[in-house]
Amino acid sequence: MDTLLSIEDLTVVYDTAFRRVTAVDNVSVDLKRDEFLAVVGESGCGKSTLGLTVIGLLPKNTAQVTAGAVRYKDTDLLKLDRGKIRDYRGTEIAMIFQEPLTSLSPVYRVEEQIAEAILVREARKAGHLFTGKVMQETYRTNSAPGPSRFPKLHGRISLNLRNEIIEYLKLVRIADPEQVLDRYPFELSGGMTQRVMIAMALSQEPALLIADEPTTALDVTTQAQVLKLMKELIKKVRTSILLVTHDLAVASQVADRVIVMYAGEIAEDADVHSLFSKPLHPYTHGLLSCVPSGYKDENELHPIAGTLPDLSVQSVGCKFAPRCPRVMKSCHVQRPQAVTTEKDHRVSCFLYDK
Amino acid sequence: MTNEAEAVLRTQDLKKYFPIRKGLNPFSRTEDKFVRAVDGVSISVPEGRTVAVVGESGCGKTTLARTVALMTPPTSGQVYFDGKEITKGRIERAELYRHMQMVFQDPESSLDPRMKVGASIGEPLEGLMRWNRDVIRDAVKRSLTAVGLSDEFASRLPGQLSGGQKQRVAIARAISTQPKLIILDEPTSALDASVQAQILRLLIELQKEFKLSYMLITHNIAVAQYMSDVMAVMYAGYLVEYGPTRTVITKPRHPYTIALIKSAPIPDPERRNLLQVEIKGEVPSAINPPPGCRFNPRCPYAEETCTKENPSLREIAPGHFVACHFAEKTE
Repeated sequence: MDTLLSIEDLTVVYDTAFRRVTAVDNVSVDLKRDEFLAVVGESGCGKSTLGLTVIGLLPKNTAQVTAGAVRYKDTDLLKLDRGKIRDYRGTEIAMIFQEPLTSLSPVYRVEEQIAEAILVREARKAGHLFTGKVMQETYRTNSAPGPSRFPKLHGRISLNLRNEIIEYLKLVRIADPEQVLDRYPFELSGGMTQRVMIAMALSQEPALLIADEPTTALDVTTQAQVLKLMKELIKKVRTSILLVTHDLAVASQVADRVIVMYAGEIAEDADVHSLFSKPLHPYTHGLLSCVPSGYKDENELHPIAGTLPDLSVQSVGCKFAPRCPRVMKSCHVQRPQAVTTEKDHRVSCFLYDK
Repeated sequence: MTNEAEAVLRTQDLKKYFPIRKGLNPFSRTEDKFVRAVDGVSISVPEGRTVAVVGESGCGKTTLARTVALMTPPTSGQVYFDGKEITKGRIERAELYRHMQMVFQDPESSLDPRMKVGASIGEPLEGLMRWNRDVIRDAVKRSLTAVGLSDEFASRLPGQLSGGQKQRVAIARAISTQPKLIILDEPTSALDASVQAQILRLLIELQKEFKLSYMLITHNIAVAQYMSDVMAVMYAGYLVEYGPTRTVITKPRHPYTIALIKSAPIPDPERRNLLQVEIKGEVPSAINPPPGCRFNPRCPYAEETCTKENPSLREIAPGHFVACHFAEKTE
């Protein structure tokens, strides 16, 4: 398997009025083709920022990439100008977000929104930029003249396009795609809107799908369905998936490889089986023993003591040192480097320094 | 499953229907349309124990909690607290809330941002207990210590605290009146994994120390399993399964409980239970629930009877209640 995406020594900071917060601190990640990679961590660990940097959606006025590169198929995405990155965003790299209702437009039907995505793809393939204006034109030319109060768009969208949309909705296992097409997002349940989002993302035939907490807003039974779907898609349409989640259990269920982040840094990066069978970093240990399992009279919870560090304060040593049960002298003085202990198992901790 | 005598809280056929109004006029009512949020729930919380009410969003678990705490009047049915019916006649709220407290999901919005932590914790002591200031000050300190915060937190504002600390303050406030029962409505859902573990552990310690009874509302099966002695599973307003936690987890008999337990991801890549889940569809609308058993459109065991008759809760093993026509077949 060759490398699809390679993030090298990335550092992202947020400038707020009084302080500078280092959200992602010197992070390197490699993502192979057809790989399902999960980035796990608690809130504020920089996992979402990582996803947003890759797709180039960082808030422009506050966020700043101070170092590093994001190499996608040998192109550094960070060096591209705004026009060029649109060739990648959506088409090559697609993203779905936590709250599907806020990422879909409330005033367009599902059909129109997916149609737009497909038309954009076709326009790009033909080599010209597709704007909202062209979008309007497309509808106008295909529709009957004169304004109508309740526009029925499947009269305007060609049958081929409609069939293609239905294909995508079937792909994400929507049971009655013809009915869903005519609905507005608010008429659909949470699980359905998230499926529509995934269908839209897939209609671009992306090589990489970034999913930022895609099931956090969903119920458990729906979450199971959506995750199962994502796992199937990776085989069917050959997309690599970068899953950003706070839930270790979710990651263990679907991912091939898991990266554990803490306070903007990568604590551990390993194959899912070896991460859960022999976690190395004390933080990973801590996270795993935080997940309640069994009954209270059988096994006790061992929460990690203390709280997350303030990311606006530059620290010298390991950021986990103040909370670490196995802290040593060197942890306060020096930042640990990533050590490869065995094949595909990286950990940033002095315990494993040779 | 428990005698009335030792149950701190008991509900009898409790119902809460919300009428659907036409348009924006608050006085207009449609006669026959209701959201049946809680539909005939009978559960009891034994003294010193934890009862977990589990279900997905919209199943009525939070409405159940709010109705039990009389934050909203029930449509019908009774709630007994400490042996007395609290849904009948005039009740002294101050007296009731002295013994029944609540902790909410979002500590951010359950604490007054302008009020110092000490004042927040002391407020119920002033209002419900009518204690004088010096006594309150000591009690606030004791509550803070009990939840693992130092005295100096009393003079801080909620904005200066982290999410976990805020939830600790909310818990400190709830235990300050020395209640018998605390209703915990998703107490850890807004928190990170490591903080969730801290809060859960704190709740267990406090329960032992003060002999508290908990009614824990949660969507998280792992949390419910870990915390509770008795588990009640709700679906679309109904109680579908009810019994000792161990029995419900290891021998679930209602098809919905089975699906729910299977859908809960476990942190073990060698046991990928999630990818074997075969539940289809989603929770039905509470306004037009399907006829018969409300789970029948999603149920793999559904037969014709299920679309006609709504199964009632029946005892299939001592203390284990299931509302399913075919509970014997689902093993």
